Amino acid sequence: MSAHAKTDFVGHDAPASPAEQRSWLLTRPTAKTGIVSWLTTVDHKKIGLMYGISALFFFLVGGFEALLIRIQLAVPNNTFISHQLYNELFTMHATTMIFLAVMPLSAAFFNYMMPLQIGARDVAFPRLNGFAFWVFLAGAIVLNLGWFVRSGAPDAGWFGYAPLTSTAYSNQFAGDMSTDLWIMGLQILGVSSVVGSLNFIVTIINMRAPGMTMMRLPVFTWMTLITAFLIILSFPAITIALVELMMDRSFGTTFFEVSNGGLPILWQHLFWIFGHPEVYILILPAMGIVSEILPTFSRKPLFGYPIIVFSGATIGFLGFGVWSHHMFTTGMGTVATAAFSLLTMAIAVPTGVKMFNWIGTLWGGHLQMRTPMMFALGFMWMFMMGGFSGVMHSAAPADAQQQDSYFVVAHFHYVLIGGSVFALLAGIHYWFPLVFGRKVSEFWGKLSFWVIFAGFNITFFPMHFLGLNGMPRRTAVYDGNMGWNDANLIATIGAMILAVGVGIYFTVMVYSYFKGDKTRHDEWDARTLEWTVPSTPPPEHNFDVIPTVHARDAFWYEKTHKEEIAKEKAEHAKAEEDHGGIHMPSQSWFPLVAAVGLLIGALFFVNHLMIGAIFGGVIMFLGVYLWAAEGPGGYHIHLDHKNHDKH
Amino acid sequence: MTLTSLYHLIKRRALPCAAVAAMPLFFGGWFKWLTGPQSTFDTHGPVAKSQLEVFYVTLWVTGITFVIVASIMAYAMFKFRARKTDDPKAVMPHQGHGNPLIELSLIALSVLALVFIAVPTMKAIWYTYDVPADQKATAYEVTATGLQWWFKFEYPKEQIDGAGNLITANELVIPAGRPVRVNLRTTDVIHSFWVPKLAGKVDMIPNRGNHLWLQADKPGYFWGQCAEFCGESHAVMRFRVIALDEPEFAAWVAHQKTTARTVPADAPPAGEPAAPYVFNNPGRNAPGYSAAFDADPMGAWKKQQQIEAGEDPKLIAEGRKIFQQKNCVTCHAVRGHEGMGVTAPDLTHIGSRTTIAAGLLENTKENLHRWIAHPNEVKPGNKMYVGVPTGGGNVMMGYMEIDRTSGKAVNTHIAISDTDARALVAYMHSLK
Repeated sequence: MSAHAKTDFVGHDAPASPAEQRSWLLTRPTAKTGIVSWLTTVDHKKIGLMYGISALFFFLVGGFEALLIRIQLAVPNNTFISHQLYNELFTMHATTMIFLAVMPLSAAFFNYMMPLQIGARDVAFPRLNGFAFWVFLAGAIVLNLGWFVRSGAPDAGWFGYAPLTSTAYSNQFAGDMSTDLWIMGLQILGVSSVVGSLNFIVTIINMRAPGMTMMRLPVFTWMTLITAFLIILSFPAITIALVELMMDRSFGTTFFEVSNGGLPILWQHLFWIFGHPEVYILILPAMGIVSEILPTFSRKPLFGYPIIVFSGATIGFLGFGVWSHHMFTTGMGTVATAAFSLLTMAIAVPTGVKMFNWIGTLWGGHLQMRTPMMFALGFMWMFMMGGFSGVMHSAAPADAQQQDSYFVVAHFHYVLIGGSVFALLAGIHYWFPLVFGRKVSEFWGKLSFWVIFAGFNITFFPMHFLGLNGMPRRTAVYDGNMGWNDANLIATIGAMILAVGVGIYFTVMVYSYFKGDKTRHDEWDARTLEWTVPSTPPPEHNFDVIPTVHARDAFWYEKTHKEEIAKEKAEHAKAEEDHGGIHMPSQSWFPLVAAVGLLIGALFFVNHLMIGAIFGGVIMFLGVYLWAAEGPGGYHIHLDHKNHDKH
Repeated sequence: MTLTSLYHLIKRRALPCAAVAAMPLFFGGWFKWLTGPQSTFDTHGPVAKSQLEVFYVTLWVTGITFVIVASIMAYAMFKFRARKTDDPKAVMPHQGHGNPLIELSLIALSVLALVFIAVPTMKAIWYTYDVPADQKATAYEVTATGLQWWFKFEYPKEQIDGAGNLITANELVIPAGRPVRVNLRTTDVIHSFWVPKLAGKVDMIPNRGNHLWLQADKPGYFWGQCAEFCGESHAVMRFRVIALDEPEFAAWVAHQKTTARTVPADAPPAGEPAAPYVFNNPGRNAPGYSAAFDADPMGAWKKQQQIEAGEDPKLIAEGRKIFQQKNCVTCHAVRGHEGMGVTAPDLTHIGSRTTIAAGLLENTKENLHRWIAHPNEVKPGNKMYVGVPTGGGNVMMGYMEIDRTSGKAVNTHIAISDTDARALVAYMHSLK
């Protein structure tokens, strides 16, 4: 084996002889600080942070869009915004919140926490991880570009039901770029999600620390794994749908074109075969976070770990068999409606099971009512309510009245804000000390929780009544004689309160980042491996010594078996140093280059400039080629262990 | 418990106590929120009733489950919470990993609870799908077609010599006490037909022959609305359903089959001429409803069938002429008069409808004037204003010429002056 190959994988560092140096193009960047370190990073923690920051930015954008919607609906016959702008706002609010806020925020936690939780030093494919993030950013830019062009933002709803998205309806009088931007943006985001998910799956399967068996995985990591499988299995469906739509719009095919025998209903099936698993893609990571927080703050292990894990998997599995409950009103016929009705009821069981087990976790515990715990408990209450209205929807005849009414709006905001977002906010609070090494004020944290909790319920609880009182969703204006005035006004006031709560939350976070008290190690007396890192924030290499796992709550075991663990770690540290030191992946420019190529190609394609689109594709493939040509890279870190000889 | 300790408890828990005390007020308010014209609780037919019954089953099952689970959770949160946050190591809870027996029994119980919902759900799915077999013979049939942004209603059982089906728009008149099977069609995008008090919605999907059935047990006037997002003016795509008893319905059909009413220009004015109305454009999204109408919509409908007092025959004739000059006839049909179009609502008996602009505005002179003169402010993007694409990039122009690059209205193609609008209103209102 040549010395070069040794350097790339394991073994001692090769002497850097000038003769062996590669061309500048293929030299790996090494900046550890500054803008270049971020643009070329392959560190899962930095990538996680970038995901998090972008997601929170888009969370605020989506929230602002929601506020405009609520202002328009505050009073009947309002003229605050036009119908057209309203349609753009609700389309972009949903698309933004789902694809640019909740999903990437979950991805931020997957990236940052999952490798730490399984005792790994990075993900399996670090450069691919960087690529996933840059592609996500490219998709986000394409989706939002509509706000800055003449045709406006996408306006056909986040579900984009054909034939409203066809050129015949969106381009009736003038060229419409917004739907093309929407199609292209979602396709690019799909690339990012699938690439990221494959990476997570390989990482979880292959890179667990010794002793970390599957049934010892922290639940959050389990949910990461299940979510990743859901993504790679469901995104192909929407990709097919989007490609067909793109073909219809750009190349004159007739998948959804009625006048040539196309079937608009096909779009709905393809969309919801993706769309329903997507719901679980949004909620399973949240359930994982809550399953980490509840045991920590109850100071006892998760109740019924195997059942929580298997119910998560069951939800993922059944999630592919319930898509048509979004289509109960499309005239599917009795048998199909009955089948999807029953399956939808069935999926309530594994979801309910999780609820029972979380309560079991609280039972007999010693509950520390800290801010993350408050958000987690808030999640349990709100998700339970959203779950119950979900069961109501599963009864198809009742759903015939609720479908596309504000009752549905209430339901999915209870599961997506009360569920996903509460859990993600809990997660930010929970891991803040680990990620930034600073504490968040308990007083301000709890205050933000109560304001958010109150604002959320005041906004969305009345919507149940609006829906049952016959108010359809996606309507820019309503008449004052329909009995909807009070509830709408209350909902708008609630939305303002919610906005204040979110404002407090983020102000506190920003303040704590700069001025918060330094934390002690293991701030919450936690139970899982991510808290065993040698310092907060964690060092680049995560662990000085790869941990060996002896029990399900690995860190808890370490804390109760200190001597045994100390001895074991010393041995392993020596072994690793003898083996060449801590091996780390090298940074690279090419994930960014490939993503930029994709962005350029997409923008030209949207404008129907095919030469430009091909040019973008060439840049992308050039990036991928050079990525392969620069080789796997890698370098070693040598730690100065007290009880270990220096090299 | 002494009075002092109770006092301290209340003092410490002032906020929760106040919240509990305010509950009845809060809940009481909600019932008021369920009595609107599109309330799904105020059912007037067997389909909506069946759907509501299923809803109540789900409400009971989830409600009882909620009370049980929520009580246990609230108890656990209260009972096991650490009293002092600064003393976290006070007690170390038992590090138990679960109890399979409890877990499995809870799964079994959840399944059982769902069976209670599943059985009535299955029954109602079959019942609400189509007219019950034993009533098929008596069922009435209509075809509802969704268009951007209005509804066309056809009566295949009512044939007019040389004109085919009886066609109306935006107000569906049905016989009461009899099942009505509604065929659901669309000529453009997906719409959804929803009259909450009579039946849940079913979508109108291109290339798909959907249907629903409904029945109004008694004569009545019902609000409906498109429930699937269908483009710019989805929010204002509404309609009404009027159920009449059999003789009244038969009379209505007979009258609708007749050709449009003609008022000769030289006819003597009937009684005192009505004073000209005052028109001020109230601007976009302005309300088009009134409390008086809502108090007795059925009475308003009956009144609308009668010929207006103080008609001005000259003005009506003038309106009929303008209706031709301004090209209205290309899209609108007025059977027996010049209107020949089929792409827009049939106006043969527009004067007898209680609403205009797809169930949006009451059919008053002021509202009709507003709709004719400023359609884009009533229903943005409507075809009367922006024109109708006829394929191949061609457009049959409406009021405005639309710039093909910006999508904005640039030149006026059809100008309707205040005088024109007044004449058109008089003509339309004469079409009883």
